[in-house]
Order: sequence, then structure tokens, then C-alpha cells
Amino acid sequence: MTGSGALEDTTRSVPEPAVRRAVGLAARLAAVLAKRVALLVVLLAVVFAAIELLPGDAASATSERGEGAAGVAARRRLLGLDRPVWERFRDWLTALPTGDLGTSARGERVSDLLSAPLPNTLLLGSTAFVLTVLAALALGTWAAARPKGVVDRVVDLTSTAAFALPEFVVAVGLLLVLSLWTGWLPAATVTGADGTPAGWHMLVMPVLALTVPQTGWNTRIVRGALADQAATPHVAAARLDGLPTRQVLLRHALPGAWPAIATGVATSTGMLLGGTVVVETLFNYPGIGTVLAGAVADRDTPVIAAVVACSAALITVVLLLADLIRARTLGVRA
Amino acid sequence: MSTTAKAARPRTRRPRPRALVPAVPALLLVLLALTGPLLAAHPVDRPVTAPYGEAGTGGAPLGGDQLGRDVLSRLLHGGSALIGSALAVAAVVTFLATLLGCFAVLGPRLGRLVERAADTAILLPSVLGIMLLALAWPGGGRLAVSAAAVVLGTPYAVRIVAGAAAPLAATGFVEAATASGERLAHLALREILPNLRATVLALFGLRFVDAVYVIAMAGFLQLGPRPPEADWALMIRENGPGILLNPWAVLAPGLAIGLLAVGVNLAANALAPATVRRAALR
Repeated sequence: MTGSGALEDTTRSVPEPAVRRAVGLAARLAAVLAKRVALLVVLLAVVFAAIELLPGDAASATSERGEGAAGVAARRRLLGLDRPVWERFRDWLTALPTGDLGTSARGERVSDLLSAPLPNTLLLGSTAFVLTVLAALALGTWAAARPKGVVDRVVDLTSTAAFALPEFVVAVGLLLVLSLWTGWLPAATVTGADGTPAGWHMLVMPVLALTVPQTGWNTRIVRGALADQAATPHVAAARLDGLPTRQVLLRHALPGAWPAIATGVATSTGMLLGGTVVVETLFNYPGIGTVLAGAVADRDTPVIAAVVACSAALITVVLLLADLIRARTLGVRA
Repeated sequence: MSTTAKAARPRTRRPRPRALVPAVPALLLVLLALTGPLLAAHPVDRPVTAPYGEAGTGGAPLGGDQLGRDVLSRLLHGGSALIGSALAVAAVVTFLATLLGCFAVLGPRLGRLVERAADTAILLPSVLGIMLLALAWPGGGRLAVSAAAVVLGTPYAVRIVAGAAAPLAATGFVEAATASGERLAHLALREILPNLRATVLALFGLRFVDAVYVIAMAGFLQLGPRPPEADWALMIRENGPGILLNPWAVLAPGLAIGLLAVGVNLAANALAPATVRRAALR
């Protein structure tokens, strides 16, 4: 375990290296945090500018039939669309930390608009995320236990195949098997009075449709990272010492593989979030996918920018966690 | 397709006929999809049976879709545009990435810019990216989706090329050329590029897989091709409500996309050198 090195240092009763290491870690994390936040702001600026460059705007897209040019101009003024784009971006960005996501083209507060569907989407995404990580770790280590064995080859082939499948194709397959042929699950999500899915079984198919491709991706990463570790001297030594395969894998190979696994899993957050939008459409699940589809039709910049901001912020947090894991593992080793 | 033909060239690695086997299903499927329109019995836009008509009625072996049009004929027509645009996207992304990647390893400033661009792009899920571009370009259809796929895919691809080119930039022959005062373009295109053949071909395969995924997803979200068109992803979306009446209208295009994605991915994976595969996973 990587912990043994740290343990020896502290028992030597010299606090300086430990303190220095903690300060170094904190400084590194602060730098990483600053970089991640800067990238987030850059992305939001690019998105804002991109929507701005498009022909037409929210005022004309939401105009009623027969509404005169004067009416559209009045609403444009009301929505603040006549002000320079950088000024609006600055105002929107500074209001963001207070939870104010702006006002939609139809005059609703974006935070109200997202408050009901966003938790549903997060529930769907996080369930799929947890399942994916568990399944990928299990399959990846199982395959790595016997390199080039039957299990390894089957896992390699199926995970490669699975990760190329678009979520909606997996969803169609699940619908046919679990809903049409066996009748075990309803084909569409039934929503309760409070706007959430009526039962946990409504989540089964959307979650599975998201999990299958991402598990394919992450299994390959776990398997690859373990293969890299298997080639390192300390793992080879552990194996030559005659330790059981399971112990070599879990105690000696896996700790060194964490940074690579964390980065891979972090990458799949974005793909999961994107997949939710698609899967929600197919299963009629009450998440942000529906809101987003309406917002695209309305050219509703604040709504789309808010969804992009939410998902980008979430991905930033996951990437930061991956950075943390990497810093810890490498920091202890250094 | 050209990946399968070229990647096994003896210069890049020893020719191993067995390595080509995984590429066969993908190749057959692509050929079938491209020649499909010639084999279709009915036009894509004329009803031949009842809406969601059962398989076998009205001369439609897979039944009818939501307007009673022949599912099999639409299936045979629906693949070529998807594959065509995916191939085009893969080619453009690979070309851009190769150029930028070669220059990025020689110029630290461009290299840093590329890194930052890839770090930023990872924060934008591709579905949201496609939606933004479809918004920006309302009548763009397939072209807008292809443009989005290029914009979203290039940053990662550049990173892969740069990763493979970095060791080359430090080799003796490049340093010798630098010392003899060669211009940057000469260094990138004459000294580094010729040694990246295997990476570039493998990259093309991987970008093709990604492009199929992105373009199919856009079709499903009704952001790309417009309704009378027979697009596999669009067929799934349109016939979803009738899945109980004629499952084939959804199942057949679903299978087609699934087989295409999996087949192409297995082929690209089998033909790609291990180092590129590793880099693509990062």
C-alpha cells in the first residue's frame, strides 16, 4: 500500500517533510483549482459568444405570430439584448455564484425552470455513474487476474464493442427485451404528482442504457492501467514472492493505477451527462433533456448557457477530484 | 475503409493477415450500406402498406413505418449519408489534427494552446455542443452536425498526434534539420509527418467511430437530417411511438447503427498500434 511510506515518515518524528509535503500539496491543488476555474470561465465565454454570433435571437424566436417589429424590439430591450454582449456576460457571470442563472426568453427565472428537472437528471446520472465505476472495477480486475485468459479476451471484446454503442441504441434493445417481450418494465417513465419518476423501476432502463457504453469505456481503462502496473518492478516482485493473484492485484497493482482510473472515470462524466439528454428523450424521463430541447427551439441563450454552466461545473468538480487523487498518489510516492 | 486497406502496410508494421479479420464485418456492412440504395425495392417516401404495417404485408418484408413506407427500403437508403458524413468528418479531423499536432510539438506556444483547448473542450458534452451549433445554424442540417463533430473532435485528436510526435521532435534527424536552419513547415511536414503514418491511420479509424456516434446522436435528436430523409437514427426517433405495432421499424435501424458502430470500432481497435489506443483512452 502507498500508506506504508507515509507511516514510516511520521514515526521518524521529524515533522518537516510531512508539513512541507502538505504545503506543497495545498499549493499544487490551489494552482489546479485556479486553472480549472479559468477553463470553466473561458468555456462559458465561448458559449455565450457562439450563441451571440448566431443569426436571430431569443426575442424574435419567441415572438407571437403577427407581432410587429416594434413589439419584438420592445422585448429585446426588456430582455436586455440591446446591450453589448460582454456587458451581459459579465453581469451573468457575476450573478452565477449567488445561484442566479438569469431570466429565460419567456421571462421565467432559469433557476426555477431547472429546479425540478435537474435533480431528476442528477439522480439518473449519478446512479449510472456509481454503477459504471463498480462494474468497470470488477470487470477490469477480473480480466487482469488472468492476462490473455478467456475472461480477459471476452471482457476486452465486449467492452470494446459496448463503448462504441450510442446510448439510444442500447435503450432500444432494452425496450424490446425488458418491455415488449417480457413485459417486466413500462416503456415510458410515469411521473408522480411531484414531478419525479413514480418508482425506482422507472429508472432501471434509462440507467442501464447509460451504464452499458460507459462501462465499456471504463473497463478498458481499468484493464489498461492494471496492465501498466503489472509491468512495474514492485508488482513483479510481489508476484515473484508468490503472493496470491488477488492480493497482488488489490494491494500492489490497484493503488498505482488509481490516477489513470480516476482520469478515465472523470472523462466519462461528460459522456454520461450528454447521454442523459438522449436517454431522457427516449423514455420520456422528466429531466433537463426536455427543457433543453425547448430552449434550443426558442434560441433561449440563458437557459442553454445555464445548462452548459451546470454540467461544466459538475465536470470541473469531478476533474478536480481526479486531480486530487493523482496529487495524493504521486505526492506520497515522491 | 481506407484504414483497413492501408494500416497493414508492411512499412508501418509486419503484415499479419489475421489482424485484418476483425475489419471484415465492418467492411461488408459499409459496402452494403453504400450500395443499399441500388438494392431497395421501393422509393423512400411512398407508402406501400398501412402505417406500422406488420412485416410481410404489401411487399414490405420488415413492415411499414409511421406513414406505411417500406422499412427495408428506407433502411437500405439510410446508411450511405450517415457513413458518408462520418467518413468526411473523420478525414477532416484527422487532417487538421495531423497538421496542428506536428506544429504543436515544434512550437511550445501552440502546444500549450492545444492543451488548453482540449482541457476546455472536455467540459462541454458533445450533445450540448451539437445543440449549440444546430441553434447557431438553423437550416444547417447534416452540414451543421458535421461541422460540430469536427469542432468537438479536433482538440482530442491533436493531443493524440502531439503525443506521438513529441518523441520525434527530440530525435537526432529533426535536431539536425533544425540546426541546418530548416523552416518550421519543412520540419513539420517533411521530417515529422512521414514518421506518423501509423498514428494518423489509427487516428482516422478512431475518429470514424466517434463521428458515427456523434452524427447518429444528432440524427436521433432531430438536429441533423430532415424528416422525409431515411436516416437510421431519425427512423428510430420517428417510429418510437409505434414500437408495439411494428418493432422492426425501430429494431432494424437500431441494429444497423449498433452493428456499424461496433464493427468499425473493433476494426479500428484491432488495426491501431497499442500506443495510439492507449493515448486515445486518456
